[in-house]
Amino acid sequence: MKRYTKERLWDALVSCIAIFLGLIIVFPVIYCILGAFKTPAEFASPVLLPKSFAYLENFRNALHQAPLLRYMVNSFITAFAGSFIRLAMAVCAAFALTHYDFRGKKLCFFFLLGTMMMPGDTLLMANYATVSRLGLLNSYLGMIIVSFVSASQMFLLRQKFLSFPKALRHAAMLDGCGDLRYLLTILLPLCRGTLTTLFVQSFLSLWNAYLWPLMVTASAPDMRTIMVGITKLNSWEDTNYELVLAGVTISLIPSFVLFALMRRNLNKDNTDGSLNG
Amino acid sequence: MKKLFSLVLVLSLLLSGCGGAAPAETAPVQTAAPETTEAAATEPVLGSAPVNLTFWHSASDEAGVLMDKYIAEFNASNPYGITVKGIYQGQYSDATTLLKTLLSAENYSELPDVMQMDATGKMAYVNSGKAFTTQDALAAYPQPGFLEDYLPTALTNWQFAGTQLGLPFATSTTVTYYNADLLSAAGWDKAPDTFADISALYADLTAAGRTEKVLQTIPNSPTLANWLGQLGSYLVNNRNGADGVATALDCVDSGALETFLTAWKAMYDSGALLNEGSSSDLFISGGVAVMTGSSSNVHSILTKVDGAFEVGVAPYLRVNADAAYGAGVSGSCVVMFDSGDSLRKAAAWEFVKYLTSAEVQADFAAGTGYIPAHKGAMDTAVYQDLIAQYPQYAVAYQQLMDTPETITSVTVGPSKDFYYAVMQGVSDMLEYDQTPAEAAEILEDELTMLLEDYLRSNS
Repeated sequence: MKRYTKERLWDALVSCIAIFLGLIIVFPVIYCILGAFKTPAEFASPVLLPKSFAYLENFRNALHQAPLLRYMVNSFITAFAGSFIRLAMAVCAAFALTHYDFRGKKLCFFFLLGTMMMPGDTLLMANYATVSRLGLLNSYLGMIIVSFVSASQMFLLRQKFLSFPKALRHAAMLDGCGDLRYLLTILLPLCRGTLTTLFVQSFLSLWNAYLWPLMVTASAPDMRTIMVGITKLNSWEDTNYELVLAGVTISLIPSFVLFALMRRNLNKDNTDGSLNG
Repeated sequence: MKKLFSLVLVLSLLLSGCGGAAPAETAPVQTAAPETTEAAATEPVLGSAPVNLTFWHSASDEAGVLMDKYIAEFNASNPYGITVKGIYQGQYSDATTLLKTLLSAENYSELPDVMQMDATGKMAYVNSGKAFTTQDALAAYPQPGFLEDYLPTALTNWQFAGTQLGLPFATSTTVTYYNADLLSAAGWDKAPDTFADISALYADLTAAGRTEKVLQTIPNSPTLANWLGQLGSYLVNNRNGADGVATALDCVDSGALETFLTAWKAMYDSGALLNEGSSSDLFISGGVAVMTGSSSNVHSILTKVDGAFEVGVAPYLRVNADAAYGAGVSGSCVVMFDSGDSLRKAAAWEFVKYLTSAEVQADFAAGTGYIPAHKGAMDTAVYQDLIAQYPQYAVAYQQLMDTPETITSVTVGPSKDFYYAVMQGVSDMLEYDQTPAEAAEILEDELTMLLEDYLRSNS
């Protein structure tokens, strides 16, 4: 009985710490949403809650001053397509690195890891020159082509694929399963959690991209993304955070929806029973 | 199948490394040859064919709405069949980054005909080799006395080595805002004028039982240039980089930097100053009695204060009683690029003249709070109404007229690094209790190194 009480107390303590840490992480989002309902005068005061959640002027102004809905569609297209292609490339590369033996395999792997050390900003001008010479400026392809390959995703998937026993592939091959079928019908379904996590992470990073989409669409304002739209709400020499926060709140909606839809898949990695029967 | 996967892997390797390619060579510096009057006469004239122009701007928030309006009005009203496509290119620094990248990639076809830029883009424009300056335009389409219609200080801000690069569009200066109620509580019936006044005001506030500080700010390169200018010195040589590329500091040997730092430290030591980045929020919430800020913020500050206290506007704080009054011009200008097409260049010049005309400048001032750079705007009903409603705006205009020539904005290559290095240097002096002489030496080393690095990589 005494041990049972001790365990319950321990659980309660861990839960409290987890909730506290969770609140710290979620607080900026809460602050952003609450700030979007504040008047300029309210925003200058240190009070956290707005006087009324019926004050929608910031949202109205945000939608008036920048075509945020149009920009959201562009962001969705680039984030979705970019994430999908990036994941497909990572899956193929990770499969090759884990299931085939070829000369220079280790070198390839370390070269991939090496690209993770390069800060993105240093590649800006070189990437622009490349995309410009490929004639991909002012196109969706130009906006996402530089994000097709993610060394970190390849690395994570490689480690995941390595965690499966070789017997799994041998068993599949004995049953007449080729590499493509093995990958699509056996391996990937077993990695659903990892794939979902990588997709969500990639989607959010592409959704939040600012400078690259801005530069690549210099002559195509209709192709601008939501983050560019949010800077359009920012005043030159003044701080009008409430308007910016309204724009950010609007931009958060698709991310929330995506997370809600994919949440169930996030912990679906499972190999139990894969070698039975 | 193995081949397919291997192919994708190879492709991935190539793409993941594509960013490592050597950057494109920098575009060679060219200067747009000014067209002669004779040459212009033989070229197609405006109105003979429709012209499409691209205009990059950084107008956001209310200014963005107004900019869209001006573009639409110009497209509808100009008699030459000119159609301007306005494209928002992010904040000024983003637009400058884009410009530098385009030039670096030699992708000149993407350059706009007209661009709005602030001081961060000035050197990139000068070195672009594709500049079609206001000076070039005035040589190609002579209009005697044209520049006399603009405020001299606003014009000077957009000159380099004696060349008028562009025309001022959004013009502002820095003024002092004060909480008149707090000042009254301390027994003051006038705004503080010097750093010593800030310290005295703090002493009076404390004596009156108030706990508020007086000022919250850390100087950056533009504000430091203002204060050094009041002391008759420039921050960097070549008249703060206006007459040529800045190669060295100009405020050390004259002692102006140390004089400023001494006065700044005295203000901090008195307890009046918060060594934190400037923000209007603390002033608006009544946390500090005084703030320095852009003159364009009058309307916004009044709206945010919402009658909680009386807001006063006064000329920019002076370093000491011997210093001159005034502050440099900030804001943005509109510049043109040489497209190589004489019709487009002529059309771009028409659009620039329109954006900087008295009517547009007055309307823009009424909508945003910027100072109209065109003298004719002062006489318009729109601007007169603005001054009648917000007399605080008149202070900025008068200050701009009184500002001496030594107070001019800083043009340096590493403008962003300069900005933060000055903040860091002055803030560290207070935080680590350095003497003004020590801080001046550290700042000198840091800023000189930035200038030398820039000159080395751009020589």
